[in-house]
Amino acid sequence: MGLRDLYQQYHQQIQFLSIYIREAHPKDGWWLGGGLTGKLVKKGIPKTATDIYDPQTFEERQRVAQQCEESLQYGIHTYVDHMDDRVSNAYAAKPTRLYLVGIDGKIVYAGGLGPYGFNPGELQAAIDTYLSGVD
Amino acid sequence: MAGMLHYFRKEKAWQKKFDAMAPRVGDHAPDFELTDVSGDKRVRLSEFQGHKPVALIFGSFT
Repeated sequence: MGLRDLYQQYHQQIQFLSIYIREAHPKDGWWLGGGLTGKLVKKGIPKTATDIYDPQTFEERQRVAQQCEESLQYGIHTYVDHMDDRVSNAYAAKPTRLYLVGIDGKIVYAGGLGPYGFNPGELQAAIDTYLSGVD
Repeated sequence: MAGMLHYFRKEKAWQKKFDAMAPRVGDHAPDFELTDVSGDKRVRLSEFQGHKPVALIFGSFT
């Protein structure tokens, strides 16, 4: 199950927040868009961008986040991390990561570090378990 | 190739440092306040406490 399906199925019971953080593979950083690697990335994850530079201002970050939101079309509203990456740092969220926070404000599920630990299926299982225990 | 290795090592060092401090199951989720892509809408994680569980999805475009 992908994130869009998760959102469709659970958005009435769960608040979904998509948080755009510092680019993982910008053209001016650890770029994976060139040569064979770039072709494999595009083939494996077609909606991933390979031509983005790391935003230098918050306004640039908002613009790229908006492009990301429009391209991925999860249906989940996207919020933008501060330029000092304080939220990404607090959650060790780079490059991708999933969490579930319970109604008491405590962590119910902490996904692994992306990309290999990024597992929407695990999040779904955590949501099901959590909701089954809530009156 | 040397450039790729540099970024790989840098990323691994970042993950090692911050993952050690990241919240675990049962910990209180660090609060934050963020604005959306248009700048019109703000959200604070703690505003959902007592009302609704929250799924946090972190990522970028690349």
